[in-house]
Amino acid sequence: MVKEDTEKQILIDLLALSAVEPLSNEDEQKMAQLLTKYPEFSKDEFAEITGLSQLGFYLKDHTAHEKLPSELRNKILATYENSKSSAKNDPLLSIFPGLLKAFTKPSYAWGITAMLIIGLSYSMITFKTYENNYRYLPLKKMVLQNTADDLMQYPWFGKTSDFESIKGDMIWSNQKQKGFIKITGMPMNDPSQNQYQIWIVDPIQYQNPVDGGVFDITKSGRELIIPINPKLPISNARGFAITLEQPGGVVVSSQPLLLTAPKERPKQTI
Amino acid sequence: MEIAINNSFINSASKYGMANTEAENQESLLAKVASGESKAFEELIKKYGNLIWSIARRYLSNQAEAEDAVQEIFLALWKYAGRFDANKGSEITFIATIARRRLIDGLRKNNKHKILQSIDDSITDDVFKQKSNLETNAELSLAIGILESLDKKDQELLSLSIYQGYSHVEIAKLLNLPLGTVKTKIRRNLMKIREKIKDDKMNVTKIYHG
Repeated sequence: MVKEDTEKQILIDLLALSAVEPLSNEDEQKMAQLLTKYPEFSKDEFAEITGLSQLGFYLKDHTAHEKLPSELRNKILATYENSKSSAKNDPLLSIFPGLLKAFTKPSYAWGITAMLIIGLSYSMITFKTYENNYRYLPLKKMVLQNTADDLMQYPWFGKTSDFESIKGDMIWSNQKQKGFIKITGMPMNDPSQNQYQIWIVDPIQYQNPVDGGVFDITKSGRELIIPINPKLPISNARGFAITLEQPGGVVVSSQPLLLTAPKERPKQTI
Repeated sequence: MEIAINNSFINSASKYGMANTEAENQESLLAKVASGESKAFEELIKKYGNLIWSIARRYLSNQAEAEDAVQEIFLALWKYAGRFDANKGSEITFIATIARRRLIDGLRKNNKHKILQSIDDSITDDVFKQKSNLETNAELSLAIGILESLDKKDQELLSLSIYQGYSHVEIAKLLNLPLGTVKTKIRRNLMKIREKIKDDKMNVTKIYHG
C-alpha cells in the first residue's frame, strides 16, 4: 500500500512536470510504466489546468492585446475551406449518402446488409495481408490522422551521407497500433537482393527494436506512403528507424541505421 | 487591469459556470463548427483569434512559429469540435486545452531557446472588449483566482513556464535559482492548482446536487 502510494505520487509528479517541459528519456519511460500500472491516471492529467492557467496569465497581462493579423486570418480560412472541400470530395464519403438512402427502402436494406456482411468477412480475412495493406494509403493515413488521440509525428533524419537529403516523416498511434511513413528521395533497392525494413523502438516492453515490416523503392523521386506493420504489440513507441536488410527482413538487425525518426530531435543528424 | 478575487467571487463565478454550461449546450459555437454550419468557423476565428494569437506570440519565439501554431490550433479545433461536451467543461477550457497542446508541440518541434523579443502590440477596442468578456467566464475566473492566491514569486515562476514558454533551465538562470528548486516549485504549484480546482468543482456539485 505504501509502495503504491509512493508510485502514484511519483506518477503525479511526472505528469505535472510533463505538462510544462519535455521529460528526460528515463523519466518518460518511468511515466509510461506507471501509467500502464495505474490506468486511472491520464497522460493529460494536467493539460486542462495548464491550459486554463495560460489563459489566466493572458488575462492578467496588461500588455497582451494583440489582434490576429488579417493575412493570417485569411490564410486559416482558406486552409479550412480547402480541407473541407477535399473531405467532401473524398470518394469514400461520397458513397455513404447513397448507401444511407438505400437503407431507407426496406426491400434493399436486407440485400445491402448481406452484401456488407460478406464484404466485411472477406476484408477481415484479407486485411492482414501485405498487398491489401497497400490499398487506399493516403485515405487510411488521413483517417488515422483525424481519429487518433495519441498521434505522434516525427521527421526522418538521415544517418549516413547518402540519406542526408531524404525528406519525410512518420505518424504512429499506440492506441490504434497503426502508423504510416511518408518519404521522398529514397534510393531504389533491388528486391531480389535486399529490402528496406522498418523498426519500432519500444524500450519499455522490448529490449530489441520491433520489426515494423519491409518495403521496396522501385521508383525514385516520388513521395511514398508506406504502412507500418508491427509484428508485436507496441505500447509506447519511442522512435522509428529504417535499415536495409536481406529480402523478407530479419528479426534482429546488425545493419547500420539509414534513417531514424526519434521522439527528440538529435543534436547532430550525421 | 487588476482583478480582485476573493472566495465569494470564486464561488459565485462557479455558480455562473453552471449557467454558462447550460447556455453553452444550446449555443455552443463548437457544436455549430462540428455540424459544418456555414460561417461558424469564421465566427470561431472572430471570437477566439485575438486571444489565441496573443498567447502564441508570448509563448513561441518568433512570428513565423506563432503563425504556424495558430493555424494548426484552428484546424485542430475544427477537427475536434465534435468532441466538445458542454457538460464536461466550458468552450473556453476546451479551446485552451487544445491550444496549449499545439503550442507545446510548436515549442518542442523547433527545440529552440526562447529569445526575448519586443512584441508589437496593436491595441484595439475589439481586443479589449473580447478580453473583458472572457474575464466573466466562470472557469477562467476560478483559474485567475487560484493563480492570484499563490505567492507572488510562484506566480512569476509559473507565468515564465506556462505563459511565456521558458524552459526550467532558462527560468533557473533568469531568476538565479537552482534548477531543482525551479522544478519542485512548478510541480508543487501545479498540484496546488489541481487540488483547488477539484475542491471547487466538488463544492459546486454539493451546492447544486445536494
